[in-house]
Amino acid sequence: MVARFYAWGTVTPVLVLVALFTLFPFFYALVTSLHRYVLTLPGKPYVGFANYRAALSDSVAHSSAITSLTFLAVAVPLVTALGLGVALLLSQRVRGFGILLVLVLLPWSVPTVSAGIMWRLLLHGDFGAIDGALYRFHAIDHYVQWLSSSRLALMSVILVHAWREFPLPAILFLAALQTIPPELTEAARLDRATAWQRFRYVTLPLLKAPLMIVLVYETIIAISVFDVVYVLTGGGPGSATTLYSWYTYTVTFKFLDLGMGAALSFLMAAVLIVFILVYMRIVRLREDV
Amino acid sequence: MSRRARWHTGLLALAGVALALVILVPFGFAVSASLQTESQLIERPPPLVPPTPTIDNYRYVFTGQVPEAYKQRALLRGSVTQEARVLPKGLRNSFLVAVGVVLVNLVLGTLASYTFARQRFRGKQVAFGFILASRLLPTMAVAIPIYEILRQLDLLDSKLGLVVIYSAFSLPFTIWVLTLYFRSLPPEMEEAARVDGCTRFGALRYVALPLAAPGLAAVGAFSFLFSYSEFLFALFTTSSTHAKTIPVMISSISVNPDASYTLVAVGIVMSIAAPVLFALVFRRYITSGLVASLTRR
Repeated sequence: MVARFYAWGTVTPVLVLVALFTLFPFFYALVTSLHRYVLTLPGKPYVGFANYRAALSDSVAHSSAITSLTFLAVAVPLVTALGLGVALLLSQRVRGFGILLVLVLLPWSVPTVSAGIMWRLLLHGDFGAIDGALYRFHAIDHYVQWLSSSRLALMSVILVHAWREFPLPAILFLAALQTIPPELTEAARLDRATAWQRFRYVTLPLLKAPLMIVLVYETIIAISVFDVVYVLTGGGPGSATTLYSWYTYTVTFKFLDLGMGAALSFLMAAVLIVFILVYMRIVRLREDV
Repeated sequence: MSRRARWHTGLLALAGVALALVILVPFGFAVSASLQTESQLIERPPPLVPPTPTIDNYRYVFTGQVPEAYKQRALLRGSVTQEARVLPKGLRNSFLVAVGVVLVNLVLGTLASYTFARQRFRGKQVAFGFILASRLLPTMAVAIPIYEILRQLDLLDSKLGLVVIYSAFSLPFTIWVLTLYFRSLPPEMEEAARVDGCTRFGALRYVALPLAAPGLAAVGAFSFLFSYSEFLFALFTTSSTHAKTIPVMISSISVNPDASYTLVAVGIVMSIAAPVLFALVFRRYITSGLVASLTRR
């Protein structure tokens, strides 16, 4: 009796706090998405699924979804490959690499906003250090507009995103690499396997589980990316970097169309849940192994 | 060492140096920019090392004394902005909020995780599953309702409001990591203490807690970094310097086209100093916590 009282006594505060900020908002947003709720219009009539229909036939929502997919298709493999590459590098025994282990956490530790602004200074099309350096070494013959050219802006945002995100996969992969017994690669080496063969047929198969986790985790992160866009491009130029999450933000906070914003969020949540189910499945699969 | 092996080591060292540069150059450039005058910084190309290092920009932020360099108007692109004067306040707000969230996480998180790890009671699986699943809700979807809740509780534009939101968002992760941690500890010592008449809380307080210190350090570091850096909720629930955190303040300076880049750089340096220090001090705990949370179950 006392034990049960203690158990619920310790668990309830957390439950209440979490429920207040998830369950209640969830149902509140669900109800909102079924109403025409625009702060600049009077009334809040029930409209059924009209917001969802509007969202699904909205051309900006379409183009932002495509931009988001492009972002995903480039950013997720890039971050994963960078993380894997850095982990492989750090797993080598070279004198002085200890310091790299310390440094690698830094991009991830600072606020995304700070990282974004830092890169905004570096990528500036008139006074940026990157243009300055490239120009001085004659790699370019005129300054490149990294953030204000519609062709390059999305790639720039992806690069900054990758710079901040790669430490996490790098650490995960490194931890996984350290659990691989060195005898395995040593045996392959004695069998005259090349470095690439050792990686491809010995190391990589053993990295399958962390690889899948990183892929899905980074997908979830990339779908909800917001801070970087806010400080780097504000969705522009034009709509070049208007990701789906950014569009949801503008609909909600700029157009003040809360009903439509909620509908857009739930559509995104539906896609996210698919990824999360995949994610949980993978983690469970790993446990069986 | 054979010639081939030497080549090999040389290439690895080169890659290591490249990695270090990719990580450090952006930080270094921000620090360097903050120590220059605007007219130096907007040269093409900008100097990588300040030609005549000056702390005038920092002095302006802390004392309001406008740097001499800003009086030669014609040479400048941007100007000093009053917004920069409130940066120390934002730093203070960020710190207070982050410390508050860490305390809530350590106290409520530890109590709940220990129960989840060691006790059997009806409804446990549901409660645990619910807390973990709550993390899956996209923040953008719940932004407006959370604004509404804060308004009802009269917590808009307050540090306490941010502490409450961030606690609700960070506790699931904390409980996940700490429950794993408590479970990984051998239960025998706690059982012995219980046999000797220790209460459940006593066993936690005197036996498990000291052993769980690395886990506590990890979740403390996470909740600190998370709440120090969070942007979206801080952006739209705060409206005055009373509660605005440093990410909100520097973002507003940076999107102001007239603000001097040197002051933007000062903002960056001020906002990254604490988390960088934190990451360096807590590196081991952060690393092991991250690995455990993403791979174990």
